[in-house]
Order: sequence, then structure tokens, then C-alpha cells
Amino acid sequence: MDIFAGILYGFKISLQHLNLFYCFIGVFVGTLVGVLPGIGPTGAMAILLPLTFGLKPTTAIIMLAGIYYGAMYGGSTTSILVNIPGEPSSVVTCLDGYQMAKKGRAGPALGISAFGSFIGGTFSLVVLIFLVFPLAQAALKFGPPEYFSLICMSMTLLSYLAKGSVIKAIVMVIFGLMLSTVGLDLVSGMPRFVFGSPSLLDGIGFVPLAMGLFGISEVLMNIEGPLERMILKTKIKNILPNLEDWKRSIGPIIRGSVIGFFLGVLPGGGGVISSFVSYAAEKRISKHPKEFGQGAIEGVAGPETANNAGAGGAFVPLLALGIPPNVVMAFLMGALIIHGVAPGPTLISQHPEIFWGVIASMYLGNIMLLLLNLPLIGLWVKLLKIPYRILMPLILLFCVIGAYSINNSVADVIIMIICGIVGYILRKFDYEEAPLVMAFILGPLLETAFRQSLIMSDGKFSIFLKRPISGVALVISAMLLISSGFSYYRKAKMKVKE
Amino acid sequence: MKKYDIIPIIFWIGLSIFMMVLSIRLGLGKFHNPGPGLMPFLLGLLLILISFYLFLNCIVKKENGDKRMRNKLNQINFIKIGLVSASLFVYALVLNRLGYLIATFLLLTVLFRSVGLKRWSSLLIISALTVLVTYFVFTSLGLRFPEGILKLR
Repeated sequence: MDIFAGILYGFKISLQHLNLFYCFIGVFVGTLVGVLPGIGPTGAMAILLPLTFGLKPTTAIIMLAGIYYGAMYGGSTTSILVNIPGEPSSVVTCLDGYQMAKKGRAGPALGISAFGSFIGGTFSLVVLIFLVFPLAQAALKFGPPEYFSLICMSMTLLSYLAKGSVIKAIVMVIFGLMLSTVGLDLVSGMPRFVFGSPSLLDGIGFVPLAMGLFGISEVLMNIEGPLERMILKTKIKNILPNLEDWKRSIGPIIRGSVIGFFLGVLPGGGGVISSFVSYAAEKRISKHPKEFGQGAIEGVAGPETANNAGAGGAFVPLLALGIPPNVVMAFLMGALIIHGVAPGPTLISQHPEIFWGVIASMYLGNIMLLLLNLPLIGLWVKLLKIPYRILMPLILLFCVIGAYSINNSVADVIIMIICGIVGYILRKFDYEEAPLVMAFILGPLLETAFRQSLIMSDGKFSIFLKRPISGVALVISAMLLISSGFSYYRKAKMKVKE
Repeated sequence: MKKYDIIPIIFWIGLSIFMMVLSIRLGLGKFHNPGPGLMPFLLGLLLILISFYLFLNCIVKKENGDKRMRNKLNQINFIKIGLVSASLFVYALVLNRLGYLIATFLLLTVLFRSVGLKRWSSLLIISALTVLVTYFVFTSLGLRFPEGILKLR
């Protein structure tokens, strides 16, 4: 199928009533969790995942993807109006967005972030289509050693770009890989680390793990914080940015699209880093850098565009290689696996309906978001006022119902609660859970590739270095580790000197 | 020494030793024919090496950053966190026996109370409404909840 026919086919799929409906549900829930405090897109995806079990895989992915990019829209609303980012990729939007709102320019700030998101999202979808094909073609030739090394590289890069300490992120990766070995061994059929519990034979479930780590532990963290927040009392008017606003924003939007997309492709990238880099870039090339932080519209337009473009870019490695670059993509991968679809280079040929349908639905979803967010902004602002103490028990209840509904079993609920408490403790000690979940989902793939490679090479580890792609990936990982160790050492030395 | 960082490190070391011992029992196999225990064993080995590195770092480094961690840990509201987690556990244990309606009603009452809803009348009404709405919405979506002692059908 050539690209043009593929796009038409995709629209045919995504315009089916059911898919259109679930796309709307996805972007609606996405905007909702982006706006509401205490739950992010990952938590929402985890809670809704069990509800998609009865759907076709295409419909399920369309909805889950909608939650992801919908949350990017919603997150910017809270950044601008409340100075609290609804989700991490809207953190930088607070800097200038909130200042604009304080100066009575909340309308144009919200407007430009919606338009920027739309343009960035659309741009990334177009580039995505042209990039995925050659990459998937190349990936068809990859063997187990290549997969092993690419996964290693992607997890190293993920740890390297982690928010906190690189070493702690690596510890989390190993912990996630360990958890993924629980259950029946794929090769020998032997049970591992199940301790006689029949509910562990299939391994620790992805859904209870993710719900615990992202839903329950998030709520536990939030119980401690201040429960109410101040909302700026401002009239939202002139949502459509004026000509001057557009003139100042068009450059940042174009640059944000490109920056966002390519950073989104990188493991560990995605919306967060894209938005930060875009902000830094705009500030550097701006003719009036002093306005940044005081309500410069460029500081809203650039990052808001970049985080949506990054969301699109992140689909490239998942759809072409079957290796998710960030935790949200890991969720989509988990959902595909649960629905019996193997993500990877064969996805496009074996399940064209998923590939094209999801891509086209993202385009439609972006249009829906524009319609949902601009005229209805008042409604979302009202939702911001829902007190957290009403929400917290409800989020917990939805987690419990979600976990129970997977197998109609209490065992999954208990696993989820344990994961939630573990996640809470890990957060308290500055360990992030995103690398853990990524490693958990990639663990079985990594182990199989590792064992197959060793069997292929008759037990020689040199196979990983002798094959060019695998060798390069491993060398890059090693260099990243060394450089992070080096900068860690340098920082420590500087601290001692001080 | 960063004493708060030591706690997780001790846990990691314990976990790795535990993993490695169990992996050896599972069978490591040979490199040309890896057994089920090889991968977990290597992971345990890697984790223990990193933990020792972290441990050395803690001993060598001055107390930088420890204050922030201490603040973060001091913030823990043990009563609230304990109450919420314990009520979730109890809920999971009694769900099948009491049934969704009663167990969830009790859970929500505790949760709403723990986040500061004071008036008992509104507390009970909100909890009851939430239980009924979720029950009817989710059963209409095809979910089956445990009935417990209330036999509705």
C-alpha cells in the first residue's frame, strides 16, 4: 500500500462511527485528566485500559492515544490559569502563560497554545508517515542481537535523560527487568519467582502494576500536599490571537514543530524535553529575551507546539521497531500485546488497519481537540475548581474497579495496591517509576533476544559487537554511561571544592 | 554519609542476593544454552554492583542534598497514608464476602473522611450516590461485581 492510499484507508477506518466515538472519548478524557489535578495521562490510560479489552485493537489504541495527546492540551490550560502544570510537558508553559493570564491575556495564551498544539501535532503526523516506512523496512532485517542492543541503548538513553539521578534510573530499569522475569519462563516453561501463587504464573500483570505505580502512588503523594489551589480570577476573552500575536508566534511554532518531533523520536524524549528545549531555543534567539518569564507569547507558543509534535514523534520507534521511547508509548505497547498484536516492523504489513487507522484518528483527534478546547474553555475552567478531596477517593475507586475488572479477581487488586505503595516509597526516595515500567514491558523481549543471540553465537558474547548495528548501539550506550559517570564525578568534585 | 539514601541501597542489595540465590536454583545453564535462571542472575549481579557503587558514594560524599531528602521524608503523613493504604487492603480482602455495594460504600466513607469531608450527612450521601452510580454504569458496560451478602439478582 503506498502512502497516499494508506492515508485514505486510515481515514476510512477512523471515520467509522465506533472509532470516531472512542476517539472523542479519548481526547475528552485526555483533556479532562490534563485539567484535573492528581491524575496524569498515564494514570488515566492505566485505569481505562481494562475497559478496552472488549474492543477491537484499533479502536482501543485510538482511544488510548487520544488520552495522551488530549492531556497535552488540557495540561496547558492549568499551566496558564492556575500556574500548576496538569502534566509534566506543560511545566514551562507556566513561566509565560501564567504571566500572560495575570496581565489579562489568558485568552490569547490559551488560543495560541491550542493552535500551536494543532499545528505541531499535524506536522509530526505528516513526518511520522514518511519516517516510519524506511525505518520499518530496515528493521525487518534486524535479528536478536540487534534487538538486544537497541533495547539496551534505548534504556540507557532513557536513564541518561531521566529527571533525577542517572544511576537511580538505571537501578529502576534493572528492578523493572527483574519484575518482568516473574512467571513462566518463555523458553523452558519453568515457573520463576512465583512462590506457589497461581496468580503469579502469568507474571505480574502490566495493568495492575501500571495502575499502582501511576494511579495509587500519585494519589498517595497528593494526599500530603496542599489540597486546594488558587485559581486566577480572570475573564477569558479574545481567544483568537491577533495579528501581532501571530507574527510573534509563527516562528516559535515552526521551530517548535521540528524540535519537538525529532526529540520525541529519541528514547526518554517525548513531550517534556521537547517543550524545555523549545523554550530555551526561543529565549536564546529572541530579540527581546528579557520579556521571557514576563508573559512573552513566544514562550507559550514554542513549548506548547513542541510537546504535541513530540507526542507524534514518539510513535515512530514504537510503530517501526516495536521499541517504545517513553512510558506512554510503553502503555500503548502493553495494550497492543494484551490485544494479541505484536508491535514491531511487521505491524504495518500485518495490521495496516491499526497503523493507518490510528494515524488518521490522531489527525481527527487534533481537530476535535481544537473544537473541544477553544469554545468550551469556560467549562474546563469550571472543572478546575473541583476540590481535590472529592477527586482522590474517586480516582482510587476507579483504580480498584479497573484492576478488578481485568480478571474479575481480587488478586489483581492486591497486586495493584502493593505496587502503589512500593511506587510511593520509591518516589519518596527519588526513584522514578517511568524507567521501571519501560523496562518491565521490554523485559521479555530483551531476555528472549539475549538468549537467542547466545544460542546463535554458540555462547560467544562477541556477537553483540561484531554485528554493525548492534555494535554501534552498544558503543553509544557505553559512551552515554561513561559521560554521565564523568559529569556526575565532575559535579561531585565541584561541590567538594565549594 | 547520606543516611536516608542508605535505606533503599540496603534493600537493593538484599533483593539482588535473593534473586541470585533463587536463579542459581532455577539453573543458569551454559552460555551456549542459557537456562531460565541466567538472565535474573545477571540482573542481580548488575544490581549488586551498582548498589555497592551507590553505597561507596554515600560514605564518601558529604551531607549535600540530605536535607532535602529529610524534608521530603518528614512530610510523610503516616496516619493518612497508613489509613488509606490499610483501608484499600481491607477492602480487597472483604470485597468478595461483603459484595461490591457494601464494601465500596464503607471504603468511600473512610476515604472521603480521610481527605477532610467533615459532615457525616454529606459524607454518607456522597458515598452512597457514588457507589450506586458506579455500580449501574459499570454493570451496564458489562462488568460483573461480586454480590456478596446482598443478593440483587
